[in-house]
Amino acid sequence: MKINEIVRLQDVNKFYRSNSHKSTGVRNVNLKAEKGEMLLLLGPSGSGKTTLLTLIAALLKPTSGKVFLYAKDIAGMKAKELQRIRAERIGFIFQSFLLIESLSALQNIELALKFAKHDKKNIRITALNLLRQFEIEDLAFKPASALSQGEKQRVAVARAIANDADLIIADEPTASLETSQGKKIIELLHNYAVQEDKCVIVASHDLRLKDYADRIIHLCDGEVIY
Amino acid sequence: MYSLGIIKSQPLRLVLTMGAVSLCIMLMLFLLGIYKGVADGSVEYIRRNNADLWVLQKNCTNILRGTSLLSAWQEITIGENPEVESVSPVLFLLSSVKNKKGNSTVFLTGYDPGSRFGGPPVLIQGRTVKNGREIVLDEAYAQKSGVDLNENINIQDQSFKVVGFSKGTNAFVIQYAFTTIDKARSLIGFPGLTTCYIIKVQAGSDINKVRSDLSEKLTGTAIYTQQEFLNNNIREMESGFLPILYAVASLGAVVLTVILSLILSINILEKKKDFAVMKILGATSGFLAVTVIKQAMIIIIAGAAVAVVLYFPAAAGIHYLSPEVSTENTFIQLLAVFSAAVGMGLISSFFAIQRIRKIYALEVFYENK
Repeated sequence: MKINEIVRLQDVNKFYRSNSHKSTGVRNVNLKAEKGEMLLLLGPSGSGKTTLLTLIAALLKPTSGKVFLYAKDIAGMKAKELQRIRAERIGFIFQSFLLIESLSALQNIELALKFAKHDKKNIRITALNLLRQFEIEDLAFKPASALSQGEKQRVAVARAIANDADLIIADEPTASLETSQGKKIIELLHNYAVQEDKCVIVASHDLRLKDYADRIIHLCDGEVIY
Repeated sequence: MYSLGIIKSQPLRLVLTMGAVSLCIMLMLFLLGIYKGVADGSVEYIRRNNADLWVLQKNCTNILRGTSLLSAWQEITIGENPEVESVSPVLFLLSSVKNKKGNSTVFLTGYDPGSRFGGPPVLIQGRTVKNGREIVLDEAYAQKSGVDLNENINIQDQSFKVVGFSKGTNAFVIQYAFTTIDKARSLIGFPGLTTCYIIKVQAGSDINKVRSDLSEKLTGTAIYTQQEFLNNNIREMESGFLPILYAVASLGAVVLTVILSLILSINILEKKKDFAVMKILGATSGFLAVTVIKQAMIIIIAGAAVAVVLYFPAAAGIHYLSPEVSTENTFIQLLAVFSAAVGMGLISSFFAIQRIRKIYALEVFYENK
């Protein structure tokens, strides 16, 4: 039987404590994300989108409730197991792409493949194929620091899908881009979800992304409002 | 690839760090070179004499920092033993020398020029002394004092003609000079006074038996085999010199570790975001640690290469300016210093790696927010 569920959150709460102050990250969240869909977490700044993303990616553990990743409760997983899942099955796209500037475009992708324990002999070929797929093969040996925003965006997406991730986590992927570039990236991610049968979860406050999402979750003050 | 990328991104810092590492490695090489030079210069005289037995006053174990006063009758007693091939008296004096650059002190060694024992171990120029008006000087001393062959120097208002230069006679703090034993005795004013007797036994004789026989007849003396006496002198030299050397070498190693640790930590702090991203992307802690260790090793290897290239001309320069500072380095020393530097690199990495653990990976999600 084919399992479609990638991530499931069950009555999840996350509170932060600093000294005597307690603040809410997310409250009573229930959600499920499956293969072949692009899920949009929509909400203003401070609504809990990033907290939710980091919970989904098992970078944070909930204060209460359960997070299931690939049908397995992350509470019972060791740090090493979670690290391996992130390396091999999750791809990340950050707001400002966060490529490693001292490395070339190619090396940035190779690094992700290395973490995913990709066959050493094929790392370079796979990385070059990805650059070719994104039509930036000519940038392979250019340092990331010398790339334009648009080029960085494509390298970042290539890095995210390099490990053939089932789950792509994208945090405000269009925030640093012009409208046309933002549109391109969101189309790319949507196509990846639908055509490759993967799950893409995007956190954003950009209402223009609504048209591309298969499902939208609206957040406000840490709660799912609809 | 990432380690090299980090290092290359700050070329000035790389050059300065490499420079500091090179200096520390050069310091360690220099200290080891000095040690070997001093060790050789201090005991080469004894080693080269290659005697069978050394006779000194009781409780005196070495000639470097011991006082031994023996008298002439003991030479006769030793010579009466049929198994003794030769007995050579030697008298050591600390003497003030007046030369054209002023006054300085030498370890004046009075020996019998007719004997093959007690004289300069290696002559690099000129000849040995023939009479009490001649002297052989250590080459470093001669260079330092600006004394040439056939020039005259004064000891206690008596003139000596420099007839030769010796090698292996530089004990760093003092250098050997050689004249006849009669002249040395006349300088001190006690005829027949001797510091030690160097004995060669007949071929095929049992050295231990000769020693035992002589011990019975020579009261108030200590008799050592060549190896024992050599070891005694080496031990004496090391006890006075090695602690200082170790202290300075340790300081060099600590400085190297601190500098490297600091630079690696700064690199980590500056690239905090990169490390956080790598953590999120699933880098193992081993991978992150290795990136730091690789940086340390690149700096150490590059620093060591620079140190080796610069060290030998620098040591030659120091020797030129201060001839008594004589260094001698071996391949084993180079290997030992390199191994120590690699060890320091690993220790520095260990401290720097602790910084990576403190990086909060999730910070990258809150950047620009």
